Amino acid sequence: MKKLYYDVKKCTGCKTCEISCAVGHSPSQDLVTVILEGNAALPSVKVYGAEGLNFLVACRQCKDHPCVNACIASSLSYDTEKGIIFDKEKCVGCWMCIMACPYGAVRHDRRDAKSVRCDLCRDINDPRCAKSCPTKAILYMEEKK
Amino acid sequence: MKHILIIGNSAAGITAAENIRKADKSAKITILSSEDYTGYNRCLISYLLAGDIKEDKLIYRSKSFYADNLITLQLNKKAARIDPKKNQVVLEDKSRVDYDILILANGASPKFPEIKGIQKSGVFGFRTIRDALGMLELVPIAHTACILGGGLIGLKAAYGLKKKGLDVKVVVKSSQILSQVLDKYASEMFKRRFTENGVEIISGSDCGEVIGNGDAKAIKLDSGKVIACSLVVVGKGVKPNIGLLEGSGIQCDEGALVNEYMRTNIANIYAAGDIAQTYDPILERPAVNALWPNAIEQGMAAAQNISGEKKAYAGSVGMNSVQFFGLPVISFGITRPLNEGYEELSSRDITNDIYKKIVLKDNIVKGAIFVNRIENIGILLKLARLKIDVGPIKDKLLRPDFNFALTRDLAYDKEEFYL
Repeated sequence: MKKLYYDVKKCTGCKTCEISCAVGHSPSQDLVTVILEGNAALPSVKVYGAEGLNFLVACRQCKDHPCVNACIASSLSYDTEKGIIFDKEKCVGCWMCIMACPYGAVRHDRRDAKSVRCDLCRDINDPRCAKSCPTKAILYMEEKK
Repeated sequence: MKHILIIGNSAAGITAAENIRKADKSAKITILSSEDYTGYNRCLISYLLAGDIKEDKLIYRSKSFYADNLITLQLNKKAARIDPKKNQVVLEDKSRVDYDILILANGASPKFPEIKGIQKSGVFGFRTIRDALGMLELVPIAHTACILGGGLIGLKAAYGLKKKGLDVKVVVKSSQILSQVLDKYASEMFKRRFTENGVEIISGSDCGEVIGNGDAKAIKLDSGKVIACSLVVVGKGVKPNIGLLEGSGIQCDEGALVNEYMRTNIANIYAAGDIAQTYDPILERPAVNALWPNAIEQGMAAAQNISGEKKAYAGSVGMNSVQFFGLPVISFGITRPLNEGYEELSSRDITNDIYKKIVLKDNIVKGAIFVNRIENIGILLKLARLKIDVGPIKDKLLRPDFNFALTRDLAYDKEEFYL
């Protein structure tokens, strides 16, 4: 399956990925409307600094998926072709997935008490973070074997 | 045809059955359940009680799952004992079921205190869907509920019943609530949250008797004080259901002892889930960590080894994530060290109700508590499981910008995602 990879040296930390992720997962999917309505989604990608470099953290679609194992509400499942599938409607906000994720890639949205995680933009089959990255630091490509 | 018999129809048992079937299309798989319900998300019963979800959301595996995977599910079948010499399980009705491989996934049960009146109607454990539905039946007619015990289960019941509009009192023997999973400071934060939301916490007291004719009408505390209530919930922890192993020769301590392949001392008998006592890499000894995620992973590990894919289970850790009245907390491992040699790092933001604490021993993470800012705690859990020396990043662990990238040089996995 295709996953997201990050060319750390190319990342300038501009956070365009975070913005495109938040806008793309908001109701209107339009930047200006999202700002005016104040209902931006929490981005599921996050850029962190470490030792002078920038690192993007997002769900890695792990094969051993500790988050899926920890979910008490059957809201997470794993598909070998698609990766981790999140049924937001079933999420009860228990945060077991946050506890289980060894990468800190699941986020805590306190507004609706639902977890936030990368869905690889399956709605358009093209992750918005990678598409919008001005330096092409985010690569969406077939998993390395 | 090989017959794999599984006692228990919850996280461990179902996961084992599902994964054995993936690897073996021909084995006969039977699950015996002492309950009368299809596989359900046990941890959601508190959400059902609180009215946050409807009963249909409880379904973990519907009846069609068993049919599709050719798994025979037998409900209302209670195993009474194991006869390893004959490879048979003896049920309570004296009938016998043969097996080639047996998986003990029969869980744990609430510990009920031995006090007068505890068997009265209106007294519940909080473990099964029947407990939740039974409590919900009493909600319209009950005015006050008393919870015996201030642990997670008791407080989840307290939270649910409060949301249903009952007057709720929690009777806690120790001076603190959640004393098994939180330290004093975090415990006080939650005590405050419960009290502010109208739940009375009576600490330093224990229930001595449940009063009433047939139905519970009141509880009597050891102080002599009597509290009128028609609903009593016992939340004093759980114990593995090892009763049926008596005389079987299967080695037990607190739970059924298994090796890293989830096997008991008897070659064709495995154990997984709340009944199993597995190696705990944080405590560095075998422990029963009766939690849903551990049960899933143990069920999976048992299935892999039964299916011939020899794979060692990494061990279980005590960990909890819960939210009460809008305040979330995640904790794991040793949160209040009882002996010397531990180092505690903590930070507090009183205005925003944020508290973080990390417990280290020789620069190895041994436990943590994150209240109200819970993101990234999973990174610490992984570092603890793998016993990674965090010395080089110790000063960064509590910072708000602590993140996975800071740990990548500690080499706990081959990094493939950062090019």
